[in-house]
Amino acid sequence: MFIKNEIEQGVTLYTRQTDQFKTVSFSVKFKTALTEKVAAARSVLANVLEDSNEKYKTQNTLRKKLDDLYGTVLYTDTTKRGSNHIFTLNVECVNDEYLNDSGVLNEAFELVRTVIFNPNLVDGQFDPDIVNREKRSVTERIRSQYDNKTSYAQKRMLDHLRPNSVVSTSANGSEEAVQAVQADELLQTYTSMLEEDLIDIYVVGDIEEQEVVAKLKELLPFAARPSRKQHAFKTDAHKNSVTVQRIEEQQEMKQGKLHLAFCTPVGFGHKDYMKMQVTNGVFGGFAHSKLFMNVREKESMAYYASSSYSSQYGLLYVIAGIDAELTDKAVALIEEQLQALQNGDITDLEMDQTKALLNNSITSAFDSARGQIEIFDQYKELDENFTADMLKAGWEAVTKEDVKQMASTIQLEIVYLLSGKETIANE
Amino acid sequence: MNKINFENLQETLYNETLDNGLDVYILPKKGFSKTFVTFTTKYGSIDRTFIPNGKKEEVTVPDGIAHFLEHKMFEKEEGDVFQKFSLLGGSANAFTSFTRTAYLFSATNKLYENTEVLLDFVQEPYFTEETVEKEKGIINQEITMYDDLPDWRLYFGAIENLHHNHPVKIDIAGTIESIDKITADHLYECYETFYHPSNMVLFVVGAVNPEEMMTFIKENQSKRTFNNPEEIVRRFPEEPTTAAIAERTLEMDVSKPKLSFGMKCNDVHNSGSEMLKQELATELLLDVLFGRTSDFYKEAYESSLIDESYAYSFSLEQGYGFAMIVSDTENPEALEGKIRQTIEELNASWSITEEELERLRKRKIGQFMRALNSIEFIANQFTRYKFNEMDLFDVVPTLEKITVEDLKTAFSTINRAEGHTVFKIKPKEKEK
Repeated sequence: MFIKNEIEQGVTLYTRQTDQFKTVSFSVKFKTALTEKVAAARSVLANVLEDSNEKYKTQNTLRKKLDDLYGTVLYTDTTKRGSNHIFTLNVECVNDEYLNDSGVLNEAFELVRTVIFNPNLVDGQFDPDIVNREKRSVTERIRSQYDNKTSYAQKRMLDHLRPNSVVSTSANGSEEAVQAVQADELLQTYTSMLEEDLIDIYVVGDIEEQEVVAKLKELLPFAARPSRKQHAFKTDAHKNSVTVQRIEEQQEMKQGKLHLAFCTPVGFGHKDYMKMQVTNGVFGGFAHSKLFMNVREKESMAYYASSSYSSQYGLLYVIAGIDAELTDKAVALIEEQLQALQNGDITDLEMDQTKALLNNSITSAFDSARGQIEIFDQYKELDENFTADMLKAGWEAVTKEDVKQMASTIQLEIVYLLSGKETIANE
Repeated sequence: MNKINFENLQETLYNETLDNGLDVYILPKKGFSKTFVTFTTKYGSIDRTFIPNGKKEEVTVPDGIAHFLEHKMFEKEEGDVFQKFSLLGGSANAFTSFTRTAYLFSATNKLYENTEVLLDFVQEPYFTEETVEKEKGIINQEITMYDDLPDWRLYFGAIENLHHNHPVKIDIAGTIESIDKITADHLYECYETFYHPSNMVLFVVGAVNPEEMMTFIKENQSKRTFNNPEEIVRRFPEEPTTAAIAERTLEMDVSKPKLSFGMKCNDVHNSGSEMLKQELATELLLDVLFGRTSDFYKEAYESSLIDESYAYSFSLEQGYGFAMIVSDTENPEALEGKIRQTIEELNASWSITEEELERLRKRKIGQFMRALNSIEFIANQFTRYKFNEMDLFDVVPTLEKITVEDLKTAFSTINRAEGHTVFKIKPKEKEK
């Protein structure tokens, strides 16, 4: 679906010409091994590069320029996948043909270059005032996770489940690691990112592909670097027995946030991972799934009760918002649904529904430029010629017996509850 | 079937009002694989006092009923409607706002079958006392979930402060106490009043053949009989233009204090193109005063009064309207002072220039173009506009005509201190 051009060793440009959108979207992704320190430094760097640059020395002048370019969007973010940290610069501008002006696209190209290659340096260093301000912003972002109870419960659950591991490391780093970032180190972070990272560049929109390739080669003079696969995360092998951790933590709140994690040796790239995607769908991925039908509809215990499959880490999560006093009942009910899968208690209807919705979700995701970029960026690790049809064919082949077998590899590892009251549920 | 071309946008909209009063709109989008269909009634949480269809006496129903009804539409004698959508690969959902209830699905396959399920389930109510009782546990958990969301409480707290009587101050889902009073009879009464096709809009956008789809919808609708449409009589209490409560603070378990600043709009009776102009002019005014290129933003960000959580918005419907600024902040009092000062300075001396307007106008035109990439945005926003007799496709021409004078008028509707309110959330003092 994308046309691939290696513009330098380790630096790859993916373009996609389409008249589906009224905008042109750019993403420049810098990938390296994930550690808390790297994540913290790069999150601060992401904010600093989004703030200003050599040409637009203040946030105010940069933002005014973006306004003039018909609200061209420019932002950076940091994410993680498996053992990799990903720093992304995103730019999106309206296609000239919908505007009274022309030349917006060209200026957007220039901006991509300026943000990456012409940072706002003072005496050869990033401005300490800006660095300190953005350290504060990233710190506040990390701290505010406490206020979003579901997201906080998930974070705490992972902290207990896999301490000191990429699984529980945030793409923003930690408060302490962000505080430790020094202005003079940040230049080192920046330099190594540009010189050593694996770089993937995406452009999607109504573009002339040859022109874009030529232009970006010229505008983005990245040096060659060792070409390699992304860092692989190895999922744990199946364990003979797992001791289930039971953790309860308190905040002043009304609902109980129940978060469970199950491990499976089947991770992204494992020959069976598409079977596991179907298994997750039957278990709790959708509104026809066992968790929704039983925990919500039959028992009226929850507004939300669902599962998700983190293929990158070989983990399956279940979350439900419940009355904390009913924790034991909810956990038993969730385990019952998994047991049903392990016993092969699966209908043809459940299989058909799950496959139909998986197909719908992958096809739908391709209806946005961002979706095309993000999904391709993940799946190209498995196959550079990846298309949605490959996944659909894979899911179609999955049988009830496969789901039963997949379910048998799933083992409960942790039951975590964040709630406002101490319960005796887990005595 | 009407066909309207929007040459500058390269879009064509198809429209027909059916014999039963249903307004149908179809917008094909090239390149898209999915189709998004919304079936929306002009009925939301604020419609609590009305004369029921076929009756003479006005009633006031329990709070949260529009949302409760939305939940219950999915349950039928033969089971859960989600089951049907799933089998057809349709990803279904619904939402209730202050003024609308929307049922929707997106699908990349079996478009007609999914559309039929949508039309049928929304037009075939099935409520029993037993299923109504069962739903209460689920909605109680939904209400409890919202109670624990500080950002929702922050936004809603300011809305509560701003209004004396208007039902926009009542939570969309109601309260655990109010929904306990809901019966199947209530649901039928609301359904019969508000779900007549003449009070609804069907919007189809994405991968669709407009002629075939219109024929399919007509065929489906012709199989049903409806009463003749009655004009719906809703009643809203008198609402002063002042804020009901000037300030309130809530304690919650949060990491940092939060502030919302509400500005009540005193011109809430427009519709159509006047309303569209008012809405866009007020949004542009807020962009000038509080946007990312404003002096306010620069100073507040640099002095750590706001962080990445900072946001502002304007909401306008017939009968109510308010602008809102929200942020996490270590110093809610200083931030409040800075917001008030910004408004007072503009009151004292008008300083917005043509140049500023021009720059932010360009930004807004670009934002709108980008939003048209999203078929969900198109369907939801088009329907909201339609219910207020506005037209989504007038946005760019209207933006092009807005003048500095219009911004001045917009400012005069939200600038009075007595129409302002502050709501704060502060961290609970922890016991040692």
